[in-house]
Amino acid sequence: MRRRPLALLVASAAWATPAVAQHPTHGMPGMAGMHDSSHTMPIPMPAGMVMMPGLVGLTPGVTTFLPGHGIDPADLPAARPGAVTPLDDGDTLDLTAMLLRRTIHGRAFAMYGFNGQVPGPLIRVRQGATITVRFHNHIDLPSSVHWHGVRLDNRYDGAVGVTQQAVAPGGDFVYTVRFPDAGIYWYHPHVREDVEQSMGLFGNMVVDAPDRDYYSPANSEQVLILGDLLMQADTLIPYGGEAPDFALMGRVGNVLLVNGEPDYALHAHRGDVVRFYLTNAASSRTYNLSFGGAPIKVLASDVSRFEHEARVRSVVLGPAERYIVEVRFDRPGRHPLLNSVQAINHFRGEFEAQVDTLGMVTVDSTPAGPDHGAAFDSLRANPAVSRDVDRYRRWFDTPPDKRLTLTVRTSGLPLATVQFMTIDTAYYAPVEWVDGMPDMNWLSTSRQVHWILRDDATGKENEAIDWHVKEGSVVKLRLFNDPRAFHPMQHPIHLHGQRMLVVARDGVPTLNHVWKDTAIVPVGSTVDLVIDASNPGAWMLHCHIAEHLGAGMMTVLHVDPATTAR
Amino acid sequence: MTQGRWRLAAFAAGLLLLSPVGPYDIKLFSTAAAPGARGAARLIPNGSPFGIGVTADGHASYGVRITAEKLPRPDRLGRFTAYVAWAATPDLTQWVRLGPARNGTSTVGPVELNKFLLVITAEADSAPEKHTGPTVLHGTSPSGWLQSFLTHPLFRGISQ
Repeated sequence: MRRRPLALLVASAAWATPAVAQHPTHGMPGMAGMHDSSHTMPIPMPAGMVMMPGLVGLTPGVTTFLPGHGIDPADLPAARPGAVTPLDDGDTLDLTAMLLRRTIHGRAFAMYGFNGQVPGPLIRVRQGATITVRFHNHIDLPSSVHWHGVRLDNRYDGAVGVTQQAVAPGGDFVYTVRFPDAGIYWYHPHVREDVEQSMGLFGNMVVDAPDRDYYSPANSEQVLILGDLLMQADTLIPYGGEAPDFALMGRVGNVLLVNGEPDYALHAHRGDVVRFYLTNAASSRTYNLSFGGAPIKVLASDVSRFEHEARVRSVVLGPAERYIVEVRFDRPGRHPLLNSVQAINHFRGEFEAQVDTLGMVTVDSTPAGPDHGAAFDSLRANPAVSRDVDRYRRWFDTPPDKRLTLTVRTSGLPLATVQFMTIDTAYYAPVEWVDGMPDMNWLSTSRQVHWILRDDATGKENEAIDWHVKEGSVVKLRLFNDPRAFHPMQHPIHLHGQRMLVVARDGVPTLNHVWKDTAIVPVGSTVDLVIDASNPGAWMLHCHIAEHLGAGMMTVLHVDPATTAR
Repeated sequence: MTQGRWRLAAFAAGLLLLSPVGPYDIKLFSTAAAPGARGAARLIPNGSPFGIGVTADGHASYGVRITAEKLPRPDRLGRFTAYVAWAATPDLTQWVRLGPARNGTSTVGPVELNKFLLVITAEADSAPEKHTGPTVLHGTSPSGWLQSFLTHPLFRGISQ
């Protein structure tokens, strides 16, 4: 079965933006009020940057799309915050993707959500539970639900084109989801993620271990799901219709959201230890989070705890990654939740500090009760994790079984883009934290940009790679992010349905292991993964930058049942 | 270290000196103080639970693996006992001592600057507070290759 999300989109009866924009301000929903000039763009440019003259007047070669075309947002139900939804083993949840009214900076928009909520319901289950989710698609696009990081039965993975057909508008699908691993997980559609996920279709699942002391003690818990929106003044920038735009770097928003809102706020007592469950649901942005100088320790990531808790200065999350951290607020006052990065101004050839405040933690002078300061100050070891990892250590030093090179091929990009990128490739940052050239990025669609996973052994690319491994096998996969590509960029590589260890980066062994389902591969880096291929089925392996996935950067790892010979 | 390992290390050092320059590589240039010296360096991302070593304000954090050969004995350049690696901002206003360097491979750091010069100087001891001795090798971080396009024909007609 092949993945054909774009064809499905075009086939959607609800698809509704027929005109190809020949001019930046013509025919684009949400663009009223913009004016054209030779040096302005219908998309926001970084401060102090201007568009290239050679790109003036160009638009992506696709129609435009925003949810709820022709619907007055006032006629839609207002989005509510995600509600904690405890479920027991055997319970059933109805999960409806629907159009909602969301208000961002005082302006109402038609967007998406699950069950009237953004984020979707926070599903809370016990480790080992199995639940049934009846999904109802009430949005204007085909959709599905992928249970990110959960090692569930393959047929319920929600991977459109691999494990199921997309659920048409008005259609339903019943998922059975079992939760073998404790931790923080998330769900989102697996068709046109650049639109549906960005517009609000995401939610978390917290899976509680039976051990009450599974994590270090905390006074409270916060589940934060991070995302961003790209807006110009008070309008949303439309999405590519037949194909994703922003295909070169992915869509990096300029309005940063926590749980779907731009102004996250938390109140705490002096000395409180707060456990944060963090998820990056942004299409492309990598975060570097800190809490106004409050001390942080990291406990866990995608699919397990770390072997050892670690003190960190900040928390780096690539798209789709999760981290569980604890923060101690030992000083009264205001502690901003910051995203702090060093952006590159390609126009001036300089780095520029960029700091965004995502929210505020206000700490009063009332002492925390109980005081978990001593436990916070110590860093626990998790021998159960180490014992589990021990079973895989003999693969750490073996040659890789499989190798993938990450690269890109382009055709038909504007000449100015090609000229600029050709001469601006002397240096690439390991991570592009922001979109430094949004004009070029916006104009690139998946019709011109083809992101590639290339099998070094066969030269086959993306879906043409036909990898089969036996259930219960251990696979060592080496990923190399080619810095000589036309536009090298970091890639958060996600493997469905299995768990994996990052055992080395650039030949340097990992010292503190954690089970992952998504790992960042910086530009020019080599990352070695050891995959526990214990869950049979056809599992997608792809870049989780939504536009890179939409531009082809995926393959399938077939884990054949142990009883099947091949 | 056995003789075989020395040979292997020397071979690896030679490979580094001869290898093409990549996004983490720094070519080092000699000076009149030690015209026969040769060197190269590679930025090694510092370990992090997140796979990317950065500071809280977003600066990349690297160790620096320096490979040098044909450095003369420091005392041949004056009253010096050691070579020391430094990272300096391009305007030379900020210097960070990275650690001692020698012929063969030395790993020093961390360096947490956006753009920097890598400078190796001869010094009276291996941990001086300031650089005072002659420079024997120097190079530029890969990020130093970033260039301004303010006057490039692609942007002709645009004024800032």
